[in-house]
Amino acid sequence: MDPNGKIYKDFLNRIERFKIQNGPEKIKKQHDKGKLHARERIALLFDKDSFEELDAFVTSATPDTGLGKIDEAFGDGVVIGHGQINGRLVYIYSQDFNVMGGSLGAVHAKKIIKVQDLALRVGAPIIGLMDSGGARIQEGVASLSGYTSIFHRNIQSSGVIPQISVILGPAAGGAVYSPALTDFVFMAKKTSYMFLTGPDVVKEVLNEDVSFEELGGAEVHARKSGVANFIYEDEENALLGVKKLLSFFPSNNLENPPYVETSTNKDKNAESPGTIVPDDPNKPYDVKKVIELIVDQDSFFESSEQFAPNIVTGFARLNGIAIGIVANQPKVLAGVIDINSSVKGARFIRFCDAFNIPILTLEDVPGFLPGLDQEHNGIIKHGAKLLFAFSEATVPKITVILRKAYGGAFCVMNSKNIGGDYSYAWPTAEIAVMGPEGAVSILHKKELQNAEDPKKLRKEFAAKYRQEIANPYIADEKGYIDEVIDPANTRKKLISAFKTLENKHIEQPARKHGNMPL
Amino acid sequence: MKKIKSILIANRGEIAIRISETAKKMGIKTYGIKTPKEPGAYYLQFMDEIIDFTEAISDIPEFLDIDRIIYSIKEFNIDAVHPGYGYLAENPYFAQKCIDEKITFIGPSPDSIYKLGNKTIAKQLASRHNIPLLEGSDGNIKNTKHAKLLAQKIGYPVILKAASGGGGRGMRIVESEDSIEKMFRMAQNESEKAFADPSVFMEKYVRNPRHIEFQILADHHGNIIHLGERECSIQRKHQKLIEEAPSIALNDELREKMGESAINIARASNYRNAGTVEFLLDESGNFYFMEMNTRIQVEHPVTEMVTGLDLIEWQIRIAQEEKLTIKQKDVKIEGWAIECRINAEDVQSGFSPFLGTVEKISITNGKNCRFDTGVAEGSNVTSNFDSMLAKLICYGETREKAISNSLSALSKLQIQGIKTTIPFCKAVLNHPKFIKGDISTSFIVKDMKQLFHQEQDEEMIAAFWAALNYNVQLDIEDETYVDYEKGKNMTPWLMNKRLKSL
Amino acid sequence: MMFSKSKKNKQKFIACTGNNKKYEFVNPKELSIKQGKENLPVEIIQDKQGFVYIVWKKKKYQVDVIEKNQNQYEIMVNGVSYPISIESPFSYKRRKYLAENVEESKVEKIHAPMPGKIVEFLVEENQVVKEGETLLILEAMKMQNEIISNIHGKINKINFQAEDNVMKDDILIEVER
Repeated sequence: MDPNGKIYKDFLNRIERFKIQNGPEKIKKQHDKGKLHARERIALLFDKDSFEELDAFVTSATPDTGLGKIDEAFGDGVVIGHGQINGRLVYIYSQDFNVMGGSLGAVHAKKIIKVQDLALRVGAPIIGLMDSGGARIQEGVASLSGYTSIFHRNIQSSGVIPQISVILGPAAGGAVYSPALTDFVFMAKKTSYMFLTGPDVVKEVLNEDVSFEELGGAEVHARKSGVANFIYEDEENALLGVKKLLSFFPSNNLENPPYVETSTNKDKNAESPGTIVPDDPNKPYDVKKVIELIVDQDSFFESSEQFAPNIVTGFARLNGIAIGIVANQPKVLAGVIDINSSVKGARFIRFCDAFNIPILTLEDVPGFLPGLDQEHNGIIKHGAKLLFAFSEATVPKITVILRKAYGGAFCVMNSKNIGGDYSYAWPTAEIAVMGPEGAVSILHKKELQNAEDPKKLRKEFAAKYRQEIANPYIADEKGYIDEVIDPANTRKKLISAFKTLENKHIEQPARKHGNMPL
Repeated sequence: MKKIKSILIANRGEIAIRISETAKKMGIKTYGIKTPKEPGAYYLQFMDEIIDFTEAISDIPEFLDIDRIIYSIKEFNIDAVHPGYGYLAENPYFAQKCIDEKITFIGPSPDSIYKLGNKTIAKQLASRHNIPLLEGSDGNIKNTKHAKLLAQKIGYPVILKAASGGGGRGMRIVESEDSIEKMFRMAQNESEKAFADPSVFMEKYVRNPRHIEFQILADHHGNIIHLGERECSIQRKHQKLIEEAPSIALNDELREKMGESAINIARASNYRNAGTVEFLLDESGNFYFMEMNTRIQVEHPVTEMVTGLDLIEWQIRIAQEEKLTIKQKDVKIEGWAIECRINAEDVQSGFSPFLGTVEKISITNGKNCRFDTGVAEGSNVTSNFDSMLAKLICYGETREKAISNSLSALSKLQIQGIKTTIPFCKAVLNHPKFIKGDISTSFIVKDMKQLFHQEQDEEMIAAFWAALNYNVQLDIEDETYVDYEKGKNMTPWLMNKRLKSL
Repeated sequence: MMFSKSKKNKQKFIACTGNNKKYEFVNPKELSIKQGKENLPVEIIQDKQGFVYIVWKKKKYQVDVIEKNQNQYEIMVNGVSYPISIESPFSYKRRKYLAENVEESKVEKIHAPMPGKIVEFLVEENQVVKEGETLLILEAMKMQNEIISNIHGKINKINFQAEDNVMKDDILIEVER
């Protein structure tokens, strides 16, 4: 081939065009909006030089539809490919806002579908980095069809390979459903939004003024809707978070989660997690402090931290093995179970179960949240989700009752009767059909009515009830729990208990799927 | 009266420890009270015997539960009770109950406590004995008209105070006649809410006064002496934060005059045991009687340091009716002592209480330095109790030396896990006006631009430490080896079952 | 531009303080702080009790990380706390851009999550609070619940007093960013 000939020049020109398209000017355009370029994001996520791009040079299928010119840029607004993260194969698609606002046309969709198919075929995790204006209007129904095919693959892959969505720009209308169908959603504060109908439509229909941030910003989705599981101040830390989260997941539903050697030996002279729980049963405390004293140092990674904070969900390692943790949080609403916390817990448990991640439950729950609001909005069916999820999960399941375990909440929180493998209690545990206050009102109704000082008598009865009925020893002696353990030994106990469950398997009745109360 | 062989210390924290130390020295057995709010508290380690109050039997806080305390004293056959400060220290009913039950109450008589505890009665007592008082209402104000007339007579500014009050609640400063009616009603309301007593009195308001107090010792045999003064002008919202003895504002002549007044008020109320007479000192050297505290004070150690006396020991000796062996002329004030209160408060956030656990504490005890602490490593700071954790008291031959010794001790005193007033104390002790001795009770509000002390480059060091930690964290995450292969290796049992079930 | 992954490269960290002052550090792990043109060494020592000190220019500072969340740190030096956020050159630019261009609602209203009785307020008006700091204790269902602040800010208004009974969704406290 003649290096000065037309053939080679054409080849070089094409590469030059590609370079300009992804050149400093375009990168600056993103930077000026406080965002990274699609390719910079990929570079941050993957191990050095491991990313292999696919379909870099494809262009839009229908350059002119009569609805306006379509940019004939290479790649059609999305970068796809695969590479290694911490030495493991991961597929990715990353939308490029510089090309027609990252809008989704037929070719753009086809590229995403391609990596989705590949990831499912080889059983590898997939990450989507979203930064898109939505459907490409010029391509009409072709983009809708594209979206739908993406959704279908999200659903097909669900529970087979881990799917993570990272929202780093707008995601409006149909675009929000793909993230909603994946396992975890990350958002960057103030530069990413998710909503089905934008502020303009809200204004038109309801005559309400609402900003992008108020309608669908990261904080709103983290705190109020629960759509976002992880939110970050900036993109770099968000992508670091994605890497961290992936380190807890196996590549697919046949494998076990990965192992990370712990550098620090925590078993020596560690503080007992029991010291965190106050003696006064009505005093709140932070269950995350208990978690930190049980799991490998700095390994706890909380998911959905701000949504329904009365239940804590997150991943951690126990002697190097990844586990999922579900814990009532006495610091918030006394750790009571309500609609949001049921849904949050249930979804987390189902993810762990799908990907063979053992579940540790830390229980301190006074019951379900009473009230009109909760009952009318269906706490019955939502609470049932949590029950369903715990009961259905076949991964190793261990419960430690830290303090309160009353009534229905005791049944729901992974009790032995719904398949919990081991159930331990701390000496501070109170296990009974109802809390002392309620029980005393029923058991001693007459005495209280006739008492001179009912308040004092009530207290005495409550103390007696606590001591005689609501202690862990009755449950222990009757076999409803396995053992009352010294809090200081919790970590050791859990490590060896999970070890015995390594080979756990439960035969399930043949069925298409259960019918969870949705 | 018989010698005291055992004492119940009806208090907690540093003062419980302080009392137990003197009791031990005197060969007296100590009993402490264990409460459900802090069953593992540090002070309990210093008690010979512990009485368990952890089981709640009433809504009354443990250290205020007179019946239960009296019952325990009888049950364990304890000779005496020391109430410390706060709680039952100034409760005449408790003191009377002790007498009725033949228990030695280490403190003054119920009658003195009652009379001196009521500000109106106390002032009447003082005025009858020609002790200078701030001009004010003779008793409580009847109505708004009365308030207006009085204020005209005294001259603005005036201050309205709750008759049963303390700690700044129910107090109102009135600058001019425009607001007198409104302020009077507000003071009444506040007083009613806080103390269930709407009685309010009025007095002249002194600008930039100093808080000077005299330590008194009085025995059962008519001997009364004073141990010199303490200056407690460094206050925030009427809470003392730094105290010293002696005061730079007093010369021998004034000291003698004020001391004499202090003794007079004690004599007038037939006072016994240790007490403190509080005065306001204005800018021209006039002093006014404020009140008499009928208990041991938090800041008593500064007096101990400059007089070489053990005040708790004298409280106990007087309670067993020993005679005061020290005459007024024997009392020598030597050198200077400063006390810094180490409170669990976040100075950077408006002195808000800081709750948590003392993770580490490095105690500085030296020749010129005494550290009275109620907490140790692992102690919990909860909202059940006041925020004072400890007191650092430093001595020097001169005020300058006491300041520099305090600063060096403060820089060595490290507490991890809890935010404290240490940076605040450093800021005061480094302040040019404090060093000059130019202070008043409005020092914090008026003269301090920044409430906490910062070393040069401190913020940059903080920034560096954060950057370094972040850098290390990034590297750890980057270098963490995630072993995915291990997840693929499983036993044939599991692999087979798992495959079949899918 | 961003935090580079290669250890050979210079890693630049920008530390922003609470009052938006910025300090730049290149490769802090090399333990030196630049002053003017000179790199002055930093020594880190730990005493017997476990207190950690930085020694720089012959001066000793006791340091401790009180809290960290992502790239947000609260550092205590000699008992004084400093909120510090660590940025890369890019995220620093982003931060500045967002501060200028994205407006936030100024006042955050803290609602009662359930009906109950207020036990005590742990904050006062005009006090500065951190995200996650406990504002008050609300007793409901015989349990004391900590009501915490969602944001860093200043207490604008407290609408109730201790002992007051509140209904669900009552606005308890307003916090200003």
